[in-house]
Amino acid sequence: MVPTRISRRAALAGATAALAAPTGARAQSGGRLVVGTWGGDYQDLLKLNIEDPLIKPRGIETLYDVATAPPRKTKLLAERASRRGTFDVACLSDIDMFEMAQQNLFDPPTPELVPNMRYVIKSLSKPYALPHIYSGKVILYNPERMRPAPQSYNDLWDPKWRGRIGFADGLYMQVIESAAIINGGSPTNFEPAKPKLLELKRLEARVYPSNEALAAALKSEEVWATIMWLARGYMWKKAGINIAHVVPAEGATPIVFDKAVPRNAPNKANAWVWMNAMLDPKAQLGFADRMGYVPTVTNAEIPPEIAREISFTPEQQERFIQPNYDYIAQNNSQLLEWWTREFKG
Amino acid sequence: MSGGEQPGGAVMASTAAAIGSAARRGTARFSLGPVLVIPATLLVLLFLAAPMALLFRYSFNRYSPRDFMIEALTAENYLRFFTDPYFLGVLATTVQVAALCTLIAVLAAFPVAYLLARTESRFKSALVIAVVFPLMVGNVVRAAGWMALLGNTGAVNATLLRLGLVTEPVRLMFTPFAVILGIVAVVLPYMILTLQSVLESIGRDVEEAAANLGAGPLTVFTRVLLPLSLPGIIAGGTLVFILCMNAYATPVLLGGPQFKMMAPALYDQFARTTNWPFGAALAFILMTATLVLTLVGTTLLARRMHQRKLESAAR
Repeated sequence: MVPTRISRRAALAGATAALAAPTGARAQSGGRLVVGTWGGDYQDLLKLNIEDPLIKPRGIETLYDVATAPPRKTKLLAERASRRGTFDVACLSDIDMFEMAQQNLFDPPTPELVPNMRYVIKSLSKPYALPHIYSGKVILYNPERMRPAPQSYNDLWDPKWRGRIGFADGLYMQVIESAAIINGGSPTNFEPAKPKLLELKRLEARVYPSNEALAAALKSEEVWATIMWLARGYMWKKAGINIAHVVPAEGATPIVFDKAVPRNAPNKANAWVWMNAMLDPKAQLGFADRMGYVPTVTNAEIPPEIAREISFTPEQQERFIQPNYDYIAQNNSQLLEWWTREFKG
Repeated sequence: MSGGEQPGGAVMASTAAAIGSAARRGTARFSLGPVLVIPATLLVLLFLAAPMALLFRYSFNRYSPRDFMIEALTAENYLRFFTDPYFLGVLATTVQVAALCTLIAVLAAFPVAYLLARTESRFKSALVIAVVFPLMVGNVVRAAGWMALLGNTGAVNATLLRLGLVTEPVRLMFTPFAVILGIVAVVLPYMILTLQSVLESIGRDVEEAAANLGAGPLTVFTRVLLPLSLPGIIAGGTLVFILCMNAYATPVLLGGPQFKMMAPALYDQFARTTNWPFGAALAFILMTATLVLTLVGTTLLARRMHQRKLESAAR
């Protein structure tokens, strides 16, 4: 019996050691973090430009919680009272990030935690998040079908383009803002957009459920023009869709895609490492080349041939229409409801 | 001693028997049945009743864009729904689509279910698998298939254009037609399988007896088969109606942004406008409407079935 007992002990010890080994290895390797992000190209590029070259060598494992922005916002809100949340890093547009930050959900980034923060373009920085990439809102149009090319948002209201103007449902706020600007509104007053958009509704403007559905409609020439991010236009052009872009006479509105670390992030140390890595010039340039988004740091220089396609000239930047996040957050609910009921309905 | 042992043994045996029977009686008294239900009940309470109770409480809170959700005890979310023609319209659309899809599903499923129930082919199991097969494909994947078929550059329009039947692509996507087609395709297998099991329980001899007495095929169907299969129609119809009322993926993907049913509308309230209190109220209104309509529908049909039985008994 004794040898048997010894052997069982030995087996137990061996099993314990075997179970402990990977845990020890994981602890030594730097653990993991969860990034709440969009899927598709964006996730691929996060892996290619941030995870693989800058995070993996430090022994940190990156897990992606892939969804569109609304479920991510819902999860952040649902978990706000939990000690441990799902995300270590949450990705949202500047508008959504501001709305979430109002609920005091995020830890503020500091230069001690994120050394690369000192290179962030000042006008893009905010106390609750770090800007990852940015672009601007422009008019995309079919150069074969629309002659002369539109110069202003107002040109999309021309009756000769009846039924040929299409929008992505997700960009309702951006479309409302454009209509407001050309009808006497401002970044703090979108109400004039309502009668203006009803005019466009009478001209049979179309709304598509997603950016992809809109891209398909542009490709099949079901619609000829839209209001969209320049970066998205760059990607669509690369994908073979016959479109050109014009910065509207009213000025482009910048869109920034931010990242933040929730207060209840389970792996905060790794989250800050990740936030620092995303501001690395090489990581930033990867997004410019493939997705057409402009770097948010001053030490990343885009090759001139790409810059021509995706950047805004200093004059165009001067004329940027800066969104008023507070106004948008306060009015998002009523504007979305108006869009759903009156414009789409 | 041995003689003394014998009665003793008998006593022991009878005692054992008595204990055994007492134990059996005891088992009967303290049946394990209710105990076995406890784990499932606890799971349901934990994962269904508790979140629903929380959601019900949320539906009485107040929404604020800045503070997100303010603790309150107000019926304003429910009042808003019942005084707003837009949301009443969304509910009406949902009920109409669900009722129409259920009707189409019953009509389309009956012949298939009848064929499956009556066939003696050796391929019967293969046919049943063919009916079940669509259930193995997710709703989103099926909707993607419909999108490929119904889009402006999809297979249907390409065929119509090639045949010269139309000069411009016909708009099929993002229409109520696409939604109804998509939902019926999703729910049809449930209806067929439910009807098939009921039709199988109706003996062929009943139909033959009716035919022997001079009933034509239509009379056999309306006077014999249909009344006898009514329990299956009620069961399948109920299941399908509930599925249709709560459809989410198909209306979103095939109906497009303009077409609104209740499930996508309440998702919008939660995820896009972050108005959880109103979203919660919509969820409970949808649930109550589904429950009430299902109960009314099944009660009416069951009453009709009962009346028919009484009439035929009187005859």
